[in-house]
Amino acid sequence: MGKNKKGKQKITLKGIVASPGIVQGKVRVVKSPKDILMAKREEIIITPFLSPDFITLLKKNGQIKGIVTNEGGATCHAAILAREFKIPYIAGAGKATKMLKNNMDIILDGEKGTVYEI
Amino acid sequence: MKYDKFSKIDSIKEIKRYSLPRPETIFIFDFKKQEKEIDKFLKGKKTVSIRSDKRGNSRFCPNIPRCQSSEAKPLIEKINTQGYAVILHEYLPVKKGRIAAGHILILKNHILMELIGSGPVSRLDRQGAVEEIIKFRKSNLEEVEHFGRRLAKVGVFRKVANLVENIPCFRVLDFALMEKGVYFYQIQNDKTAKGLRD
Repeated sequence: MGKNKKGKQKITLKGIVASPGIVQGKVRVVKSPKDILMAKREEIIITPFLSPDFITLLKKNGQIKGIVTNEGGATCHAAILAREFKIPYIAGAGKATKMLKNNMDIILDGEKGTVYEI
Repeated sequence: MKYDKFSKIDSIKEIKRYSLPRPETIFIFDFKKQEKEIDKFLKGKKTVSIRSDKRGNSRFCPNIPRCQSSEAKPLIEKINTQGYAVILHEYLPVKKGRIAAGHILILKNHILMELIGSGPVSRLDRQGAVEEIIKFRKSNLEEVEHFGRRLAKVGVFRKVANLVENIPCFRVLDFALMEKGVYFYQIQNDKTAKGLRD
């Protein structure tokens, strides 16, 4: 699962590198800011966008491994904070919240701006 | 009059130092002493933008992005008495006559623009409403990456990139591209951008 015919990892999503780093983890699709507090270790947060409410809660949960958002870019507040906290972050990934489902295993490549399904 | 340690005001002064175009602006530290200057600024303007700044604390400062000139003076006085310096700007509409607005991040080898068409730029910051992203190579201003819909021909943004190519790295400029010209109204440091792929 998650590999093409040549055995390479299938790219599930592409977006903009907002904070660098490569991490592997389980998907947690987050729709309400409070859900961020429920995120566990090794989880990668998938959300439409990180509004200021999300960011405040993000600071409280230091276990988040990575972030992918449908909207946003590298100069938004969320991106600057993710870089400050050294959390890999891919912004502007279009349909991330639709394509990625809870508990999927993914690799977030915050160097290339890609998400791979494992 | 001392302007030191007002981060927004310093930032506007820095824009002037780089000879970048900016909206007509005055700084008000003492309403009573500067009343004539304010009157002169307001004369002939229907609408203005009011921002404010505090020494050593520029966050959560009151601002009125669109203010009728006739209502400006009491608001300026009120903001002044609350301990804030007022930045009084020429109003740049967020819809009429605007082509695009957004942020320009200066990287070591590239210039990255993240843009929004109409609406306040705070939508870009707080809601991530990016409509177009363009990355130019600094050495020849060639467009190397593009996302989203074209808000204007690439040549238009290349001219903007040309204005900022000598700005030091890891600075973010806020700007608005109007039909009548381009205006820069803020410049900030973003040291975290050092980690971005360049």
